[in-house]
Amino acid sequence: MKNLLFLLTIIILATLGLLWPFFLNFFYCKPDLLLIFMVALVFYTDFKTALIFGILAGLTKDVFLPWQVAINTICFSAWSYLVYRLGRQISTEENYVRMAVVLVVALLNNLIIGIQSVAAGNIMPPGIFLRNLIIVSVYTSLLSPLIFKLTKRIAA
Amino acid sequence: MFKLPRKTLINFILVSCVVLLVSNFLSCFKNPTQKVFKPHLSIIGLVKREILGVIFYHHNMLQSQGLQSDVDSLRWRLFNLREVTQENVRLKNLLNFKQKSPLRLVAARVIGRSIDSWSSSVVIDKGRYDGIKPGMAVISPKGLVGSIAESMDNTSKVLLINDPNQGIFCIVQRSRQEGLVSGTLGSNLIMRYLPDGAQIIAGDIIITSELSQIYPKGLLLGQVVNIGREFSGLNRYALVKPIVDLSSIEEVLVIIL
Repeated sequence: MKNLLFLLTIIILATLGLLWPFFLNFFYCKPDLLLIFMVALVFYTDFKTALIFGILAGLTKDVFLPWQVAINTICFSAWSYLVYRLGRQISTEENYVRMAVVLVVALLNNLIIGIQSVAAGNIMPPGIFLRNLIIVSVYTSLLSPLIFKLTKRIAA
Repeated sequence: MFKLPRKTLINFILVSCVVLLVSNFLSCFKNPTQKVFKPHLSIIGLVKREILGVIFYHHNMLQSQGLQSDVDSLRWRLFNLREVTQENVRLKNLLNFKQKSPLRLVAARVIGRSIDSWSSSVVIDKGRYDGIKPGMAVISPKGLVGSIAESMDNTSKVLLINDPNQGIFCIVQRSRQEGLVSGTLGSNLIMRYLPDGAQIIAGDIIITSELSQIYPKGLLLGQVVNIGREFSGLNRYALVKPIVDLSSIEEVLVIIL
């Protein structure tokens, strides 16, 4: 039952991402809801469940991107593992620590995608690169408590 | 030395294999996943549009009044243009020109937008079953919108002109100066490879070139807003403002070749 709810949450968050209203964009940026969910799963479920649904979340995101490389699938699985390892090293019980973890993961994820895009020969002004890197990550981090609450309720 | 237990190592290799396998066969997942998303995306999209229509009623009313006056003036211009077109047809027939076959268009509705901020694309509700194939040009009544990046059975992904992966061979309508227009993810496009003495000024209209393999010649793309020199100092570039408001497109037309 829980697994089904997690799957449903991925579908709902992906739908929200695809239909995100333009007036909720912050400097033309939208938050990465699936990334927050992937991190939240590591905090509120066991590692195996978090990894499987993390891969599924990454795959769902890749399906709707115009690229042929499943970069999010690969990155999300790596982040799941690294956040899990981090959770064993430091205490991640406080909400602000979890928000900071989301911020770092979002920054790294956006940095990898941005570098991959630039390395592919695409022109991107530095301002837009930094906008996508910083504002998207901060926006994602600020919205994370909402997804954390939802994930906690499902996982409970 | 760095030691890993055998079980962890095997688990790590297994998971890596699964992830690589999944990422290799990404295209296999695209069609079924988009099929699952299509019905509720269409319904929620409609509901969202109606709700936004109510919220922004006053803005829409003012816009409607402005558009009505535009329609009146355009109607008059259209009447004049019909006369010119008829004259053109008569003259072409007289000169025995080969008549080009008219473009076949498929109308589609936008049901989803880009899921992240690193690409600029939309999902439309028409796919392979409607004859849409990758590489086809997508337009709106105002001008060029983008091209089909992928087509599934019932949906397609459109790469918008402001995506950095786009490269459109264009010309300046006034001086016929050629250049390559690509997206920057920002509100403007960039026209590159302009020589030092390029005949281009702010306000020039940019249209697609006949050298473009995907786009038919003469599609309106945008207007030059600024001109600068590239970092290398060898060429110049022009910033082009797209004619179509890419953030609010709802319906598009796909050119079936």
